Amino acid sequence: MTHRTSAKAGLTAIALLAAAAGLRAAPPAGMVLIPAGVYAPLLRGPADPARVPVPAFFLDERPVTNAEFLAFVRANPRWRRSQVPAVFAERGYLARWAGDLEPGPRAPADAPVVEVSWFAARAYARWAGRRLPTIAEWERAAAAGIHGDAGRSEPGYNAAALDWYATPQPAVLPAAGSGRPNFFGARDLLDLVWEWVDDFNSALVNGDSRGAGGAGLFCGAGAASSRDPSDYPAFMRTGYRSSLKADYTVANLGFRCAQDFAPQAARNP
Amino acid sequence: MKTALVLPLFVLTILVPALRAGGCGAAAAAAAPAPSGRSIYQLGATWTDDSGRPFRLAALRGQPVVLAMFFTACGYACPRIVADMAQVRASLPPAVRARARFVLVSFDDVRDTVPVLHAYREQHELPADGWVLLRGTPEDIRELAAVLGVQYRRDAQGLFEHSNLITVLDAEGEIVHQRSGLEGGLAAAAGAVVAVR
Repeated sequence: MTHRTSAKAGLTAIALLAAAAGLRAAPPAGMVLIPAGVYAPLLRGPADPARVPVPAFFLDERPVTNAEFLAFVRANPRWRRSQVPAVFAERGYLARWAGDLEPGPRAPADAPVVEVSWFAARAYARWAGRRLPTIAEWERAAAAGIHGDAGRSEPGYNAAALDWYATPQPAVLPAAGSGRPNFFGARDLLDLVWEWVDDFNSALVNGDSRGAGGAGLFCGAGAASSRDPSDYPAFMRTGYRSSLKADYTVANLGFRCAQDFAPQAARNP
Repeated sequence: MKTALVLPLFVLTILVPALRAGGCGAAAAAAAPAPSGRSIYQLGATWTDDSGRPFRLAALRGQPVVLAMFFTACGYACPRIVADMAQVRASLPPAVRARARFVLVSFDDVRDTVPVLHAYREQHELPADGWVLLRGTPEDIRELAAVLGVQYRRDAQGLFEHSNLITVLDAEGEIVHQRSGLEGGLAAAAGAVVAVR
């Protein structure tokens, strides 16, 4: 073998390896990679760890839109507004849509879909070959700032989140995906819609703040202390999730999907 | 000549799927109208009972059901929940008791295997004609909890923190009563079971 041929073979091998590595790391369409990291739960009992490892995963770059949800209900008639079983969605399901298969003027194609229950969001995710993110995953992705993965250390991060919570929702939502990407490339996590997570019902908090009234309601949940009382946006989200029931449909509550990051499995993207 | 062959074949094609689906109960369920829109039997999950058999909640249709989520390693609340359910069962009129089914679904897909569930049944003397013990996938567990309104999380030791809830379903699988917490409410729960048509 000549020197040139062996070099060429070597370069080809390197190119193939690089391509294979690229395939392993390439996110599915419309998703970004959130690398492995940690999540510091807002509320935790004395026996709970202060930080929870979050393995790498893929997250939708932006919330699911009306156009995407329309494709889902076209393909799955039982999830159309007129057909959805009451156990899976309360009466406000897709209320702003003009019809079963017609989002209409109040639900622009590129705007995030809202007024969907947890069951509907989950069914969409499953249909799309994805799943909902967990609280740990969502919070890990949302904790990122613009320049690094610790948004709270960047000026304006907290204030921007609080500004959004204080702002009345527009009657017609703007397009999803137009927000500035954060350090991981995800957009709109903190300033477009609230978002369903898979384990929204994992916070054992009781709306009744009278301590004695809580006795016997929960097994195992001891007194919780908070990681950082100044992280008001995290309190807002914890409280919000605790107030949800799975069949709720809310005007400013949408969702986005996640997917496992599986290096060995990603030969078939 | 052709019709003579077609009819038995037609009967066979109906019977074979019904038999494969698990017997007369499943066939009857398949022929019955779809569950009502509010029924939790809209959930399609297939669970596994403590004999290792596949089990769908819709198989409970037609009778009152008292259901709770638990896990066998739970040291405090779950034994009380199970005892409360047993007390409700004992307090029922015999005809109602014979109809009602008491269902325990485990949070713990890791530790509550079929043998562990079966041992729990023996240890707590839960007769086979009254009690159903189930295990399933994490996704199905999360979905059932969401439908019932149960909150839960797995802690660092792999144990579960959870809300304490006993749910009564009518013959259609609709939630007609819930008793939350661990204090009182058993007479009301029993009353709800008796009231089921």
